[in-house]
Amino acid sequence: MTEEPYRWVEAIANRREYIETQLASGSPIAALSYRDGILFVTVGRARQKLFEIYDRIALGAIGHPGDIERLRMTAIELASTEGFTRSAADVSLRRLAFYSLSPVLKTAFEQVYGAPFLARMIFAEVGATPQDDLFLRVEYDGAITAHGPAADAQPPRFSAISGTTRATELMEQLLRRDHEPDCTLNRAMKVALDAWSAGSLPPTDEGDGKIPSKETLAQHRAKELESSTIEAVILERNAPSAIRYRTLGGEELKALVSA
Amino acid sequence: MTSESLGTVDFPALLRRHGLLNEAALLSPSGGSGAAAGFTPTQATTILAFKFTGGVLVAGDRRATSGNTVIYDRADKVLEIDRHSIMAIAGVPATAWEMARVLEHSLQYFRRTQLQEMSVDGKVRALSKLLRDNFGFVMQGVGVVVPIFATYDFIGEGQPRLYFYDAMGAQFEVAEYAATGSGSPAVRGVLFYENRWGKKPLHKLREEDAVTVALRALDTAAESDTATGGVDRNARIFPLIKIISRDGIQTLPEKQIALRFKRTVA
Repeated sequence: MTEEPYRWVEAIANRREYIETQLASGSPIAALSYRDGILFVTVGRARQKLFEIYDRIALGAIGHPGDIERLRMTAIELASTEGFTRSAADVSLRRLAFYSLSPVLKTAFEQVYGAPFLARMIFAEVGATPQDDLFLRVEYDGAITAHGPAADAQPPRFSAISGTTRATELMEQLLRRDHEPDCTLNRAMKVALDAWSAGSLPPTDEGDGKIPSKETLAQHRAKELESSTIEAVILERNAPSAIRYRTLGGEELKALVSA
Repeated sequence: MTSESLGTVDFPALLRRHGLLNEAALLSPSGGSGAAAGFTPTQATTILAFKFTGGVLVAGDRRATSGNTVIYDRADKVLEIDRHSIMAIAGVPATAWEMARVLEHSLQYFRRTQLQEMSVDGKVRALSKLLRDNFGFVMQGVGVVVPIFATYDFIGEGQPRLYFYDAMGAQFEVAEYAATGSGSPAVRGVLFYENRWGKKPLHKLREEDAVTVALRALDTAAESDTATGGVDRNARIFPLIKIISRDGIQTLPEKQIALRFKRTVA
């Protein structure tokens, strides 16, 4: 089959369609800078979707748990061995994603006789200021969308993933409108939850592609939260310890969400 | 892709697979080779730890020696391993610091991959295993390490836990205090005395009195043991003191130690 270019292209297109269908029901994840760090937020039922990779790097992923697990383990292994043999300062998200993960994902995706990774991920690395924060959206085919210092002069200080391109674009629209990188954690949580709500609202015929009103978003969120819970983690910019990753939970999360 | 590694939670095993762990320390079949003849390794000396009302206090002097030469007077022998654990080292720093690095990364690697904290018993065993893997260096006389490990156990109501090790990796949990290194006989004498006949037993001391006891013990050790730095009054070099409590690890600021020293020890 691979000797016939047309059939290869067709096979890849089919595979893309298959993966997109598999990912479509994924609960959105928003990651955004705030004054004192980076916040990751999603809403889910049981399965953990936000993870610690290294001191300053976190991961949010949707897709098949088995595939996410393999990628997560690989990322932790790479970061840990680098951090051990050189130093924590040498662990870089940019190198990890572009030089290690992306080629592996691309190869798996294009070898049509093997299984691709059913996963879509956001990685973020916290910097000294919001301007130094790096966000990478990594796709199942190895494509990477970077928002960060090297990306352009005024890159967005956020990233979002969801099951569909339409929903992700809606989330990005909302984040572009409402998010300020120097805001407080309280404010960041509000914007992140709005972004999640926008991304998880089923498409409607009228006004599709436009950001729904605050009331619509709040209503939708309230309904979803009857059967699901908020998962949130932060990468703290100025924590006293080298490990900046922290899960928000209990009273702290409750206070942030209701504020 | 590293799928063959699925299920690996042992960080040293991961390092070994990538050829990143020094195998020279493993015991060779020939055992002690006497390679140490004519070579005197650098040694870090006296460390101590005891439980008090605020958790567990871990202190170490700052001296590193080689034979009767002082190599360094600002050595850091009280090392943070994670948010609630400290490994304090006496012995050869080259080996001990590497061991601390492996331990630190092992615990983090476990937490990150398994999404849960390693149990206290697991942490204690992890260090024991590193010591056993180092036994080749011990037999050659070039890499002896005898650490103290202190941590906080959140099970039940929560309590600090304190262990010391021998060079082969046997761990001994202690209820009150531990000391290792060349100055430890003197330190143990002071701690035993304070605990038995002092104004209060060690576990009832408040933080500032605990600091006084630690400083006095190290100063006593330095009085007779040349390898222990104690307190350098001229250069104003003070022991390193860290405290583990439920809230985490606190490093006492040098100014605070200096003040305490001036008031109650000097």
